[in-house]
Amino acid sequence: MNLLVSILCGFLYFIGTSRIGYGLSTATGSPLFYGLILGLVYGKLTEGLIIGATIQLIYIGIINTGGNMPADQSLAGIIAIPIALQTDLSTELAVGLAVPFGVLGVFLDQIRRISNSYWISQAEKHAENLNQRGIFNCAITYPTILLFFITFIPVFIITLVGADTVTFIMDAMPQGIIDGFSVAGGILPALGFAIILLIIGKRELMPYFFIGFFAVAYLGINTMAAAVFGTCVAAIVLFNSINQKKELS
Amino acid sequence: MTSKPADPIKEAEKRALSNKDLFKTFARWYSAVEVSNSYERLQALSFCFALSGSLRKLYKGDDEGYREALKRHIQFYNSEGTFGSMIHGVTLSMEEEKAKGNEITEEVVTGFKTGLMGPIAGIGDTLIWGTLKPIILALACSLALNGVFVGGLIPFLFPMAIVLIGFGMLKSGYLLGKESVMKLMQTGLINNIITSASILGLFMMGALSSTYIKISTPIQFSVMDSDPIVLQDILDQILAGVLPLCAVFSIYFYFKYKGQNYNKLIIMLIVISLVTGFFGILSSS
Repeated sequence: MNLLVSILCGFLYFIGTSRIGYGLSTATGSPLFYGLILGLVYGKLTEGLIIGATIQLIYIGIINTGGNMPADQSLAGIIAIPIALQTDLSTELAVGLAVPFGVLGVFLDQIRRISNSYWISQAEKHAENLNQRGIFNCAITYPTILLFFITFIPVFIITLVGADTVTFIMDAMPQGIIDGFSVAGGILPALGFAIILLIIGKRELMPYFFIGFFAVAYLGINTMAAAVFGTCVAAIVLFNSINQKKELS
Repeated sequence: MTSKPADPIKEAEKRALSNKDLFKTFARWYSAVEVSNSYERLQALSFCFALSGSLRKLYKGDDEGYREALKRHIQFYNSEGTFGSMIHGVTLSMEEEKAKGNEITEEVVTGFKTGLMGPIAGIGDTLIWGTLKPIILALACSLALNGVFVGGLIPFLFPMAIVLIGFGMLKSGYLLGKESVMKLMQTGLINNIITSASILGLFMMGALSSTYIKISTPIQFSVMDSDPIVLQDILDQILAGVLPLCAVFSIYFYFKYKGQNYNKLIIMLIVISLVTGFFGILSSS
């Protein structure tokens, strides 16, 4: 692949995982955003957006509880999207390529968090010496520099040499395996939703999940409509419970 | 939430930290939250870094007090960053009292932080990460799938919302102080908010599950020379979306009873998908 594109991919992945700005990485590291940028680079905006959005949907419900990352949407996107655009892969194949890298990205994140333990022990010494600057460096500068090497190098290498290898493998891939990967793309969103259910799914509240589910399955409402109705239902419950408190007291 | 106790806000002018100081604290927190996240103490370093500037101002000329305060706040901390900013605000207001020489022991400050970070994380994870984030991303994806390039930029609404809510939380935490926040907690209002936030979150999870989990079965039977019986049609007549529903709850119960080993489960899911896809048992639709 083009050297400049590989450098760009390395930087995009570094920025998308730097986590500078809480929640900002959700945007800068989203396959959707990568799809937009790389689509522009390759002059295939629509394809880029569609592949980006399809990969994004796999990870739509993924949240990092306690800082633990279940899957890395950024690595999945930054490897699969440029290779797919370069070699004209179908969206299903791009998904098949993205999923394994989504798993691998978790290990990169674990390296980051293990190395961060060192900086906090350094920061304690700076706290002892009232060194605000030192605390700043330990909190932001050093982890970010280290992260650059953890993230930039693997992505740069994989995107640089990956395209040819991928074309070779994908050409040899039987249709049955391709079908299998597209099933994986269809099932994996369930993972994120299940994680959220684990966090907020109290038993007495579970019927609301089913209302939302079957409102779409039977009535065919779209996502925005669901958000509107869901907010109304939540508001009714909130106001009722506040009124009940008032009556009791 | 801020409508009732209006008095502390009027008193804002007398407080040691200005609006600018609070914003600086928030800006530091916002930029650092997850950067230095480690297995050992999670967000402790970011917490300490965020407060370091304001603490210096509070403990002006009191190096010993400042040192103690810095060390107090480099201890274990982990909460949700947006709603969690309220804890920073309240902590600053407590440190302000302490710096003035009022009797507030270290245990009270730390106890408040550790006591509140769990419940606040519950609200934040539900509202911000469990509800707002999937809604924004779902909206963005549906635009992008239609080739609208704005879809690629919509995810940026999410960090913008975090900045607005987070700074508001930090400011109100500082202005209200510990007493009012605790009182607010004890009224049970916070529980009501968690419950209704969970309702919205669950409702959306249901809707998104139904929309975006795309599996069906291509299996068909032919008896003699009659029309083939399509298994998916029968399933749809029994219960619409029964396969996606099974997928969510299989994973849910797996996590619940086998522990949350994400890597293992993802690999298992891929294997299952490959096998069922290969033999034509499942397909994505």
